[in-house]
Amino acid sequence: MKRAFLILMVLALFAGMLPGCAPAAQPTKAPDQPVKIDFWFAMSGKTGEVVQTMVKRFNESQNEVFVTATFQGSYDDEINKLKAGLQSKNVPAVVQIYDLGTRLLTDLKVITPMQDFIDKEKFDISDIEKNILNYYTVDGKLQSMPFNSSNPVLYYNKDMFKAANLDPEKPPRTWAEVAEYSRKLTKKDASGKTVQYGNSFAFYGWFFEQWMAVSGQYYTNNENGRKARATEATFNNDRGVALLEWWKSMIDEGISQNLGRSTTDTKKAFDAGTVAMTLDSTAALRDRVDAAAGKFELGVGFLPRQNEEDYGKAGTIIGGASLWILNARPQAEQDAAWKFVKFMVAAEQQAFWHINTGYYPVHAKGYNHPDDVAWREKYPQFQVAIDQLHMAPTNNVTAGGLIGVFPEARQTVEKAIEAYMTGTTPTAKQALDEAARSITQSIQDYNDTVK
Amino acid sequence: MSKPTHLRKTAGRVLLYLLLTVAAIIMIYPLYNGVVTSFLSPSNVDTYPPKLFPIEFYVQNYADALQQAPLVRFVMNSFIQSSGVMMAQLVMASLAAFAFAFLPFKGKQLVFLVFLSTMMIPWESTIIPNYLFIQGIQWDDTYMGLIAPFMASAFATFLIRQSFMSLPRDLYDAATIDGCSNLRYLVTIAVPLARPALGTLAVYSFLQTYNQYLWPLLITNKVEMRTVQIGITMLRDAEREMWAVIMAGVVLVMIPTLVLFFIANRQLIRGLTAGALKG
Repeated sequence: MKRAFLILMVLALFAGMLPGCAPAAQPTKAPDQPVKIDFWFAMSGKTGEVVQTMVKRFNESQNEVFVTATFQGSYDDEINKLKAGLQSKNVPAVVQIYDLGTRLLTDLKVITPMQDFIDKEKFDISDIEKNILNYYTVDGKLQSMPFNSSNPVLYYNKDMFKAANLDPEKPPRTWAEVAEYSRKLTKKDASGKTVQYGNSFAFYGWFFEQWMAVSGQYYTNNENGRKARATEATFNNDRGVALLEWWKSMIDEGISQNLGRSTTDTKKAFDAGTVAMTLDSTAALRDRVDAAAGKFELGVGFLPRQNEEDYGKAGTIIGGASLWILNARPQAEQDAAWKFVKFMVAAEQQAFWHINTGYYPVHAKGYNHPDDVAWREKYPQFQVAIDQLHMAPTNNVTAGGLIGVFPEARQTVEKAIEAYMTGTTPTAKQALDEAARSITQSIQDYNDTVK
Repeated sequence: MSKPTHLRKTAGRVLLYLLLTVAAIIMIYPLYNGVVTSFLSPSNVDTYPPKLFPIEFYVQNYADALQQAPLVRFVMNSFIQSSGVMMAQLVMASLAAFAFAFLPFKGKQLVFLVFLSTMMIPWESTIIPNYLFIQGIQWDDTYMGLIAPFMASAFATFLIRQSFMSLPRDLYDAATIDGCSNLRYLVTIAVPLARPALGTLAVYSFLQTYNQYLWPLLITNKVEMRTVQIGITMLRDAEREMWAVIMAGVVLVMIPTLVLFFIANRQLIRGLTAGALKG
């Protein structure tokens, strides 16, 4: 018995040492074999399935390139894995990286700019949305190919609007209107407990960035870091203060519910019918449509602006992610990757992508695709984000901030907003000043490392 | 026994059971809620206020979860990885702890302190060197790559050493005089007596490994080599959380650990109580 235990322990040790499978040798490419490339992406759940479907379609559409798509965790996990892999050149040929990583990936000098492939082939990109290209153009070159793009929209419950004698076809357009509508939409029960809030907006740094952009404000100096490298955060101005004060006044009045930083929670409250309005990315649209089906009528409106005049002057920034080709891979793989990228942004694929996710097509012809037209006839809500995109002028405000430390900056802003909303920081000005100071410091530290 | 003390005893017992019941409910509720949610159809997930009792039995969630991530394969991978780490830690920790507990050698205290001090180095700070090393010897996408960095642990050694230290020194001396070799003493006397500590370590290291996320994500590129926690994130959509599907995945992933717990439970309780009833 004791001997058996010993033998078992030794066996166990050796069993653990057996490799699961031998490391695959690099396949040598025969001339008629397809080029095999890896593609890393960060979309999970249903959206991840849609990506896999598109990859499968690509592989079936031709026999020169075979793409293996692998999910690599959240955007943050994926970029960390990429950074770790770069040291040993263990990277894929194509990778999907979120908007915030644009400056960083460009500075790391590990990618081949998309512009090089476009120029070599004289590839026509006139049909790719201008505003989206604008975001991913750094130092005068298109660095990556936009793939999934979204902007924030106002989701509202039409049934609640009707019950509160508001026109369900007219969502609020300005901050004052949001407050006014919310007041009417807030309901209390007999004991004075609020059972329905007018709105709930997550303290999400992206919303703050968007609100600054629609107010015509730069996030950083040097025109968002687009004219020259950004050195200072500049959002701690009157517009930023006005935004936070308006937001807090609604929470203090009890017509806006504070559900913290996560849009997951505001979405859930909206679906459950305890708040009448919420903000979220258009990418959440398909799911809102499904969640509301049979329960209430879903309305979608523009991101509310401070005043009506702002609609003519500025617009939203694009969000989402783009596809990058890495220069650590052999040229043949990079060329194969380029074929794949072209396929992914083509009109037909982008229409499919739009319908199944809510991310709008980056290819203008995607809207005119019969499937997409039919879809929007059925769900006119999908039109709103596209209109909002086309409304936005193409300039350095809507191009969005370009800094190497954006993920960190966004969190700093979220912390500042939360501290002000919960009363830890007494004034909005102080909250934003502190956040701006901390971000400026990070930007300068980052700039020192890339010089 | 007089009546008042009897009454007081009963009252005390009732109170104790009441407290235990409350504690049990608090412990079980999240699990219960997860299981109930995993059987809700999308239209009922967001019902407010949430229902305490299941109102439907919608198994499509499980099919969806299995379709979005190859969970069965992941569970198997995690099981192999966790068992490997667990067994390696038991063996390594027993051997190292034996040296620290029983063998006299120069600088024992110092070596032990250096050993323990490694507990203060956060795993995150060594993850990149570990990654580059495992990558360098081409152990990425293998079970060995998943297991190797965790085979030895300072905490495990410390835990087992403490347990060995509590054994009477006379036992070791007597065995040695009778001609018992060190290895034999370890295997036939020390290990069986330290069973509670080994059991605790086994469960701890298994769960710790089962819950790993970053390391398996870094070291594996093939979907077939991935582990359960990555599987759960694969179900979590950035823009549209399907709670019922996620919960279905969590329930599936939880089953092996529950089975392990029920098997180990009897062993653990037996081990814990074996020497405890003296008075």
